[in-house]
Amino acid sequence: MTFHELLDSIPEYAKDLKLNLGSVMEQSELTEQQAWGTAVACSLAARNPQLYGAVLAEAGARLSPQALFGARAAAAVMGMNNIFYRFRHFASNENYGAMPARLRMQSIRTHGADPADFELWCLAVSAINGCQVCVDSHEHAVRDKGLSEETVLAAIRIAATIHSLAAVVGAESAAAA
Amino acid sequence: MLGVGQKFPSFSLQATVSLEKGKTFSTITDEDYPDQWKVYFFWPKDFTFVCPTEIAAFGKLNKDFADRDAQVLGGSTDSEFVHLAWRQNHPDLKALPFPMLADIKRELCAALGILDPQEGVAQRATFVVDPHNIIRFVSVNDLSVGRNPQEVLRVLDALQTDELCPCNWQKGEQVLQVSV
Repeated sequence: MTFHELLDSIPEYAKDLKLNLGSVMEQSELTEQQAWGTAVACSLAARNPQLYGAVLAEAGARLSPQALFGARAAAAVMGMNNIFYRFRHFASNENYGAMPARLRMQSIRTHGADPADFELWCLAVSAINGCQVCVDSHEHAVRDKGLSEETVLAAIRIAATIHSLAAVVGAESAAAA
Repeated sequence: MLGVGQKFPSFSLQATVSLEKGKTFSTITDEDYPDQWKVYFFWPKDFTFVCPTEIAAFGKLNKDFADRDAQVLGGSTDSEFVHLAWRQNHPDLKALPFPMLADIKRELCAALGILDPQEGVAQRATFVVDPHNIIRFVSVNDLSVGRNPQEVLRVLDALQTDELCPCNWQKGEQVLQVSV
């Protein structure tokens, strides 16, 4: 399914999401790489194969191979880190914070994409996965690397829209099958 | 000898990289394999007994090292032609996937401080070097004792599991700067 076929398949009750997706991908606060990298990372994190496939196909025409790799690497590594660091944050026992993670997260160093954009994608995925510590720390990292609050919120609009659309697309295609 | 935290010495050496005619030798320097970890391991003499076992064992784990962005480099004070002859001669070494460095002038081994005072050849030393060419792990076995490459892999894993994510920040800490 292409990105536009996917948009056309969104049911009437979710029209807000459909229209939002169209507009959030065109926000002037984001470069094309930031916007489409965020969409790729968020659709991977949102666990709907059809939505992910459609976004990936569209993004493939717009992003460099490094950016495509980086966006997916951000979703992959944050899918792990959000759970791990969220556990530390959830548990009131502070000893866990002093114990080493002992998890590989080399892709944070080796992803090869723009460092600020990579942080932005990590932040958007963290918003989806719901880790307060990760949202807070990556929000700082993104702005340390020079991106504005407007850019951050623009990426979060994409995350929010994609997250909801993943549920709608998944549920409707299951019901129709 | 050089230890953890020190820069791996600069070098430019001939290496035996293949059995294929015309592609057997190549010059390798410390600047090759940028952005990669390096696992350097040295043995005393080609054509001796302990060596092929552990060299072949490193060869078997080459893909595991590659998965961890690490380039394996073997070496001794023998020439590249001796390395080639040994590889042609020994079935376990024919398909060796990593270069064999020929430190025939002993400059690299001397700079590393791993020349055996009695024998004048490389000691059985292993160095794990990070992408910035900083030594992060060293071990030296007695000339007669073989190595366990699995243990080197475990060390590399441990070195690579530092918490790079800003999520690991503790309140009051400096901002983590990930070098890219």
